Amino acid sequence: MSLYVNRHSLVHSVDPITKLYYIGAAIVVPFIAPSFHAAWVCLLLSVSLLLIARVFHRAMPILGFVAFVLATVIVIQSLFHPGNATAWFHIGSIGVYQEGFWYALGICFRATNIVCAFSILVLTTKPSDLVEALVRKGLSPRIGYVLSSVFQIIPQMVATMGTITDAQRSRGMETEGNLLVRIRAFFPLLGPVVLSSLLNTKERALALQVRGFNATGEKTFLHEQQTYQYSAVLQWGLIGVVIIVVIWRILS
Amino acid sequence: MSANQSIWSFRFSVAAIVLIPVAVGINYIGKLFAGALKLPLWLDAIGTVLSSMLAGPIIGALSGLINNIIYGLTVDPISFIYALTSVFMGLVAGYMAFKGWISSWGKAVVVGLAVGITAVVISTPLNVWFWGGQTGNFWGDALFTYVMSQTGSTWLASFLDELVVDLPDKVITVLAAYGIYRILPQSLTMLYKNNNKTESI
Repeated sequence: MSLYVNRHSLVHSVDPITKLYYIGAAIVVPFIAPSFHAAWVCLLLSVSLLLIARVFHRAMPILGFVAFVLATVIVIQSLFHPGNATAWFHIGSIGVYQEGFWYALGICFRATNIVCAFSILVLTTKPSDLVEALVRKGLSPRIGYVLSSVFQIIPQMVATMGTITDAQRSRGMETEGNLLVRIRAFFPLLGPVVLSSLLNTKERALALQVRGFNATGEKTFLHEQQTYQYSAVLQWGLIGVVIIVVIWRILS
Repeated sequence: MSANQSIWSFRFSVAAIVLIPVAVGINYIGKLFAGALKLPLWLDAIGTVLSSMLAGPIIGALSGLINNIIYGLTVDPISFIYALTSVFMGLVAGYMAFKGWISSWGKAVVVGLAVGITAVVISTPLNVWFWGGQTGNFWGDALFTYVMSQTGSTWLASFLDELVVDLPDKVITVLAAYGIYRILPQSLTMLYKNNNKTESI
């Protein structure tokens, strides 16, 4: 369970940590740059990276939802933005205003850019690689364990959920009908899944303790460290871009 | 060790740590069931709240954070942005739970309201920054449009937009978590407390 798409591309071979730097820059730069143009330049860059990674079509469902909300943002802001003064045209008694439209367009570029930047990370990085890279960077191995164990536990729980749903249905529980029936069905379904998974934690805690989960001392890795090229250059480059934009903001 | 020190402690028992992935799983399952039963709510934070009740605010906050990271990695990258909301919900629920606010249904409603208000207060600036104030929920955005056209205040409109969507959801989420918490056997609820006396399993 992950959105990761296994491909060979330039973007796939970049260090996950560098992709995190890119997300940071993609959030910060359009926000502090004193120019409207920064937003669409960043967006163009993010989209190009998705295209280079050949995962753009996989980002479409995510962008589709965003586009729907952003379409309503454009409509609502064009009509009702508090700073609206210059009307383009009127539909009946309602005016469509320039200020609101440009404001909304800025939001669209920024929001889509951030979603694209996260998509680059999510679509081109295997979650386990990301976790391992973070642990090597100093994240607590216990948190690393938590992150990677979620990927095992959720499919287990979904399987339990199927079993429980079948069991309760076979006892005659209604899962379809009016709202009250459906609300009443929620607890007999959720309760057993939650209880059994909490009981499992007890055993898992024991198993981990027996294997020295709490042991202090240097932890080693199962996999050899992957080497990524140009990580330092890219990371410092991104930091440099942010610093330049901050200076640009201060000077203008 | 005073009660205050122990609830904010970062030294967790192994049981408390393995509770986090389960909390994320419960959030996930809650959302799936709510979707499958076509309930008009998300109910995607039951695990976060339950883990706060069981193991305190720090584990609750971590569950919230990790939940949004995992959800962002696997389903919807937008959820990274709302990680902050989940963290604060976990903190508030855990703090109130350990101050004795989960001893009855009536008190649990108060916790629900507090968690709901927290979610609204944290999410509103994120909504304004990210979406210009909207939430993407039809009824909430209809209210947003109405309030903004009447008062011209994006912040007020966005706050009310988030309030009508989030508050009922979070109250029911907390009540659901409390309903589960009540029926858990004591051998289980004692497992996660940050207390050396109960760490032996």
